[in-house]
Amino acid sequence: MNFFQNYKKQLLSIVIIVLAVLALVTAGKKQKATVFDNAVSLVVVPAQNIVSTVSSWFGSRISSMRDDTDLNAENTELKAQIALLQSENKRLSLFEEENKRLSGLLEIASKYPGYKTTGTNIIGKDPGNWFLNFNIDKGSKDGISSNMVLTTAEGLAGRITESGYLYSKAQSILDSRSSVSAMSLRTGDLGVVKGDYTLMNDGLCKMEYIDKGSEIMKGDEIVTSQLSDIYPPGITIGYVKEVVRDDNGLTKYAVIEPAVDFKHLTTLLIITQNFQKDVSQ
Amino acid sequence: MRRFIITALILIINIVLQSTVLNLIRIHYVIPNTALIITVSMALLRGSFEGSLTGFGCGFLLDIFFGTSIGYYSVIGTLFGYLAGKFNHGFYKENYVLPILMCFFSTIIYESVIFFTSAFFYGYLNYFYFFFNLILPEAVYSAVFTIVIYRILFSVNEQLEKREKYKRRLFSIKK
Repeated sequence: MNFFQNYKKQLLSIVIIVLAVLALVTAGKKQKATVFDNAVSLVVVPAQNIVSTVSSWFGSRISSMRDDTDLNAENTELKAQIALLQSENKRLSLFEEENKRLSGLLEIASKYPGYKTTGTNIIGKDPGNWFLNFNIDKGSKDGISSNMVLTTAEGLAGRITESGYLYSKAQSILDSRSSVSAMSLRTGDLGVVKGDYTLMNDGLCKMEYIDKGSEIMKGDEIVTSQLSDIYPPGITIGYVKEVVRDDNGLTKYAVIEPAVDFKHLTTLLIITQNFQKDVSQ
Repeated sequence: MRRFIITALILIINIVLQSTVLNLIRIHYVIPNTALIITVSMALLRGSFEGSLTGFGCGFLLDIFFGTSIGYYSVIGTLFGYLAGKFNHGFYKENYVLPILMCFFSTIIYESVIFFTSAFFYGYLNYFYFFFNLILPEAVYSAVFTIVIYRILFSVNEQLEKREKYKRRLFSIKK
């Protein structure tokens, strides 16, 4: 203890310099958790798991109590919707049959193959106020590695930035560090979907670098484009809410309403296939 | 040793609650920075050395679970613990005014440091917008939370100090 007291300042400055250098060197490049990280996560992750399960249980209890009155109306509405969707589904499955038959005749592989997915839970959200990262309860133990893509049944949710043994860190598409190469499904116009702080808290994001002459308009579906080396093409990102012309007059940007409801997100699907590797090979 | 284990336990409970339950009580999209409150309170109660250790622990846990590099939050935490520990001498620890003021201002400085060293490079450009919409609400919210957290840490510290004093006396009698 005396040693610490005597050389307090020197020790502190050495520690700080070492940490600062480490932080600068590893910034943004860390894709696998270290032994330290995994050791600490052995204690923290189970606790996070329990607390988030309990709190989401209470949350759903409270919201279900609140929603009780609207349930009947919603039920009849949903029943009507199911009938509609069932008939639609039948029609589409006929199309799929036909598509299979025809592409078999033409010998083309299907452009949007079914991806292998595995389910996961969100166990923690970033306690800071700047960014939107979260922890999920699957890690390298389950074959998860960085840059795998997170989706829900509705559309794209984000990607994994770092994988530990029991947990992974993920980044949502609303985070301002995230950018996704995207395309308008109707017109084929390209752009980049980015997070933006002013929109993030309302659960919206931005599609930038749209050409001035493009015909993107409100309601268009935005999907991931073939240009991205992390995201596979054809995953729904969201729908255009508003198109705004940039100040310089050369480009436009669109405000996107993601298909995923980020406010009430608890479970996700991971596409267990690393698309980045496929490109480099 | 007992003090070390209890502090580590407090930090782990903090990161778990911070990443789960606290997200449910966001006001104006902002949650209080309990890690910083614990660091500053600990530094005020125990001095620079333990303050910087606590700050390091808080930052290290944040780095592991939410950071993009090793050591970024740890550096900031260590520095804040050390600097807050400078105010350790000559204040009545039963008085809440200094901890609340310290937490208020250190939250402002902490978030400003994060703004200029990290967020700025990810496309957050307008400081004043973020000052009024993120940093100031967070500082106020943190100041309110300080009352509860400082109270808890104060009584934990008191219990530990009592124990240590008792041991010391036993020791001297034996001697």
